[in-house]
Amino acid sequence: MRRRLALFCASATLVTACSSLPKQKSMAESNNLSVASPDKFPNPGPFKLVTVNTDKSMEELWQSRGDTGHRGGTFTVSTFGSGPKTFNPWAAADVESDGIGFLMFEHLVDTDAWTGKAYGRLAKSIEISADKKDYIITLRKGLQWSDGKPITADDVVFTMNTLIGRGFGNSSRRDVLSVYGKFPTTTKVDNLTVKIHTDIPFVPFLSSLSGVAIGPKHIVEPITKKPMKEFQAFWDVNCDPKSLVTSGRFKLLRYVPGQRAEFVRNEKYGMVDRTGTRLPYLDKFVYAIVPDQNTQILKFYAGELELLDIRSVKGPDAALMKQREKTGNFTMHGLGPDDGTMFIMFNLNRRKNPENGKYYVEPMKQKWFNNIYFRQAVNHALDRQRIVNNVLRGVGIPLYTPESEASPFINKDLKPYPQDLKLASELLAKGGFTKKPDGLYDADGHKVEFSLLTNSGNIIRDAVCIIIADELKKLGIKVNYQPIDFNILISKVDHAMDWEAIVMGLTGPRLEPYDGANVWKSDGRLHMFDQRKPDSTGKIPVNDARDWETKIDELFDKMATTFDEAKRHKYCNQYQAIVYEQQPFIYLYTPLLLTAIKNSVGNYKPMPLGINYTPLGSMHNLEEIYFYNTQSKGTN
Amino acid sequence: MSVPIYILKRILQALPLLFIISVMSFTMLKLAPIDPLATLRANPAISAAAIKAEEERLGLNKPPVVQYGIWLSSLLQGDLGVSTSGSSVFVLLMQRAGNTLLLGVLTIFFTWLIAVPLGVWAAVHRGRWQDKLCSMISTTGMSMPTFLMALLLLMVALATRMLPIGGLTSPDFFERDSLGQVLDMAQHLIIPVTVLTFVGLAGIQRQMRANLLDVLRAEYVRTARAKGLPENTVIYHHAVRNAINPLITLLGFEFAALLSGAALTETVLAYPGLGRLTLEAVMTKDMNLVMASIMLGGVMLIMGNLLADILLKFVDPRITLQ
Amino acid sequence: MESIVLATEIPVEIAPIRKTPWQRLWHDKVARMGLIVLILLYFCAAFADPLTPYSMFYSDADLANAPPTPVHFEDAKNEPSWPYVYQVERQFDPATFRQTYVEKTEKKFPLKLFVKGEAYKVFGIIAGDIHLFGIDDPGRIFLLGSDINGRDNFSRLFFGAQKSLTIGFLGLLVAFPIGIIYGGVAGFAGGIVDNIMMRIAEAIMSIPSFYLLIGLAAILPPGMSSSERFALITVILSMIGWAGLSRIIRGMVLSIREEEFVQAALASGMAEFTTVVKHVLPQTASFVIVAATQGVPGFILSESGLSFIGLGIQQPDASWGNMLKAALDNVNDLVNQPWLIAPGILIFITILCFNTVGDVLRDVLDPKTQGT
Repeated sequence: MRRRLALFCASATLVTACSSLPKQKSMAESNNLSVASPDKFPNPGPFKLVTVNTDKSMEELWQSRGDTGHRGGTFTVSTFGSGPKTFNPWAAADVESDGIGFLMFEHLVDTDAWTGKAYGRLAKSIEISADKKDYIITLRKGLQWSDGKPITADDVVFTMNTLIGRGFGNSSRRDVLSVYGKFPTTTKVDNLTVKIHTDIPFVPFLSSLSGVAIGPKHIVEPITKKPMKEFQAFWDVNCDPKSLVTSGRFKLLRYVPGQRAEFVRNEKYGMVDRTGTRLPYLDKFVYAIVPDQNTQILKFYAGELELLDIRSVKGPDAALMKQREKTGNFTMHGLGPDDGTMFIMFNLNRRKNPENGKYYVEPMKQKWFNNIYFRQAVNHALDRQRIVNNVLRGVGIPLYTPESEASPFINKDLKPYPQDLKLASELLAKGGFTKKPDGLYDADGHKVEFSLLTNSGNIIRDAVCIIIADELKKLGIKVNYQPIDFNILISKVDHAMDWEAIVMGLTGPRLEPYDGANVWKSDGRLHMFDQRKPDSTGKIPVNDARDWETKIDELFDKMATTFDEAKRHKYCNQYQAIVYEQQPFIYLYTPLLLTAIKNSVGNYKPMPLGINYTPLGSMHNLEEIYFYNTQSKGTN
Repeated sequence: MSVPIYILKRILQALPLLFIISVMSFTMLKLAPIDPLATLRANPAISAAAIKAEEERLGLNKPPVVQYGIWLSSLLQGDLGVSTSGSSVFVLLMQRAGNTLLLGVLTIFFTWLIAVPLGVWAAVHRGRWQDKLCSMISTTGMSMPTFLMALLLLMVALATRMLPIGGLTSPDFFERDSLGQVLDMAQHLIIPVTVLTFVGLAGIQRQMRANLLDVLRAEYVRTARAKGLPENTVIYHHAVRNAINPLITLLGFEFAALLSGAALTETVLAYPGLGRLTLEAVMTKDMNLVMASIMLGGVMLIMGNLLADILLKFVDPRITLQ
Repeated sequence: MESIVLATEIPVEIAPIRKTPWQRLWHDKVARMGLIVLILLYFCAAFADPLTPYSMFYSDADLANAPPTPVHFEDAKNEPSWPYVYQVERQFDPATFRQTYVEKTEKKFPLKLFVKGEAYKVFGIIAGDIHLFGIDDPGRIFLLGSDINGRDNFSRLFFGAQKSLTIGFLGLLVAFPIGIIYGGVAGFAGGIVDNIMMRIAEAIMSIPSFYLLIGLAAILPPGMSSSERFALITVILSMIGWAGLSRIIRGMVLSIREEEFVQAALASGMAEFTTVVKHVLPQTASFVIVAATQGVPGFILSESGLSFIGLGIQQPDASWGNMLKAALDNVNDLVNQPWLIAPGILIFITILCFNTVGDVLRDVLDPKTQGT
């Protein structure tokens, strides 16, 4: 009762303070959220290469760009999930294990968090030949593995040609790096230089290369002589940490199953700060495994975690966390919109299932879904801002294009638009539909009704589907919403293909639009709105592509092979414009990325373009992160 | 029949039971249309060829009967198989089993410590406020969903900052000395043990109370009273000892429950136990892991019952094993 | 075979009146309270439609996640007045990520009784459209706030009661007959048949019930309507319960059939089956009744457990289990939004009542305590 009274009094005072406010924030005002804090951390420029001479060797090391800190402390981060499945980065098939791979193994190249451009990490320099088919990559001198052996071109050649080229572990890396089915060849030029040759110029190659961990030939080669099955067990989750030989910032100290993975500084890591101190600053890095998202946040409040990284802070939590910033002694950072997308898609499939001779989608419904006016009408009938307000508590932005606002490739000419039921009705009329008192009817007199699926147990998807069903009811369309198990949903999309409409999400490419090729190309494995099945050789034949599908295919190919930046942007804009008009995916929203970091941590400079899988997450400069006081715990 | 032969007989009887359990579990798992590779399929970065390779590796494209046969034959050779993540099932189970065992033993210990005296107290003061109070406490415990209580206690822990938030050990566990390690684990165990004890109190307390009431009505108790023995001796010396006997059979079930764990509580509290492991395995249809966990649960149940029967024999000489 | 005794015996002493079990149950204050609460809950569930201002599916999407609507009992001059509410509006501050719900005090919306509202059919047959109380549009009365889709939590609690409370009994209705007959047959048949039947039951009991539950729930085909799913979940829950019950029944049958009166019946030529039904089973009745009252809480808890994982009753249908799940998603904010726990409290109260009644019922029906 007292609470109600209090709420009443509070709201009464609020009301007298602000008499008449608009019902919802306008689009422009909401878009305040889409602007990350770009001026918070100015671009420090490229890394500087310093040479350190000792009696034994000469090392070429990168010099950090941030503030100068000091060594010490244990940094704890968590991610929710069930923990890594393996410590073998080439066998990793899930996000958590991949993420740990980033922690332990350095890559040849990486993408700069401020500019999004590729730069050398293990490599000193990257040269692309004039015909764009050859990449000359030179390693830095004096680099060492954690066991002291030198990192040389042999390791690179071995990793590329054997580990990835022959498909050890997770063979999809080979497919990602292949250019139209052909895997590039890597040859050794000298002890520190390799040449990678692609048969045709392929722009996304460098960005794909930034995901490749280089392995120590002297350790891994013996395993590759054994049958491929045994590779999976190599460096698995229960291996002896001492057997791991790494090149990254940290190496595994111990893995406590189900609880955490503990890492210590790799003393041989190839970076120093301005005073010459070896990086990383942190003595220890702990990656806690927490199965529940709420427990994560509680741990953060309690001081057990230093950072709540991206995707750990959901919309509903944001307001509460913001309130506790002062008392909890932490700061929240906004990193702009996420690169994942949430959308509703209709099954545009017009083929018959060869196994039983029936159409995947009823012909009557095929007509509706393939009718561009239908899709556009649905598009305009949705109130995206309301979805964001309800489902994300306002901490998100509506989405209209396949590239998210975070990407430098977004087509700025494609304008957002609010819900417009009148326009939707007009579009339906144009498409031959008539609205009668008891519903919407198509030109052949059939009542428009379809089933909408999404994965069960997800409150957010639930809410989105219910809102969509309600909005479409206003147009006279009857939507039967059915939540089903995630695994079954995937198998329907992938295999049975007998769905009608689905609401789901996809992770998106942040920096390289070509990463979406699997989705957009007509023969892509995830061309979900009109999935074609592979034949016995594993390739997907395309006989019935629509004009605009073919156009998108061409644009993607051009994007892949044109190195001219301006032209690339133009092609990317064109494909986005086609999608904007044809609406095979009707995009809904994207959440905002928020992180929270304790104020005791220095050099934390999250940037929207500098995001990796956790635990690296927004700490693209993990080697520079340090504690102001090196009593890491207890000084909140 | 002597004890060793009895044990042997029971083991032999158990084998068909275990077989039936394994077939039932396997069928159930196979029927559930969960695809262990669903997450892989939904990831745009994984190619079709990679998925096919995974299918091969996990043997998913063979008919179910063949898959069962493969599992059974490896089991008989002592190989529990490999989970879908690549680690050995045996190692995974062993790691978590210790933690769950610890939690289970502590829970049983505290439950009995609290519930038995409470049951006696309630029986002795039957019908009066003490009885009603105990009945309230135990009924409340029975009525509370475990995950709700776990979450509420977590929030209390956060508010008081006295207890750690879930898990079993702190990040600096291995740097502590032995005493520090024991204290650390004790701190982490407070919440899970409290939740599970509170919820489990009711069964033992009520059973103890009912048994004691039965015993107090028995003839030999009246005889003892008639002999002029003080009431306390009658109750605590004679009656309680007899009343506890039937509870021993409950111990058998509790032993079995030791390893099946409290999956929801473990999930909420991020406790690295078997319950959570099996729950995740069932959700992702990790065949080998689930089968192994279920078989383990079955074995524990059988062993628990066996133990209870033998214990009973030692405690109550009237009982003959057959 | 009644002996003819004339009712002319003069009672020697006024013996204390032997109360029937139900009278004794009612006499116990705690059990009485429990019974009353349960009856109240079931009443509310049965008549959810007319008692609540909104239907289960009604939503105001612009007012999602709202706190309870403040009901005012005093007017501007602080004098008592007929209760009224204001229209509430939601606003968002991008700097603090806060959504606030603000009252617009221009217009008062008085509470109306017996309003015409959404049409409904009680039990699917009796049509009507009068609701106990309500508010004119565009005012809303969300007594316990609204959920993520702007649906009224208060109303949905009533509809959730329908699912959660019935699932308990339906589960019983399926599990118990199966268990009793299975156990009875096994006990009576004896020998190898008994052995095999009991081994199978033991096997089912040996699988940790929670995994059995999830496994079975996961088998459910996806294309089912919500009521089909509801029915199947009930069946699944009862699959867990019958095995244990059958074992106990079998044990009781085994001991009872050695009793004299059963031997007498058999000796006098009664068929075995009739003997079982007429003589043996009724002896187990008191145990079954008690087990029933203790089984229902188990079913309710299992349903909420299933919904917690997302395999139980699905949205947009309301059940206490899935409403609680929605609350648990916001656990960090529970202190500021205590109304979200309401489904959990209701689950707790229901189970408490069943357990209390069951306790007293067991004492009352226990043949050993009768006559004291």
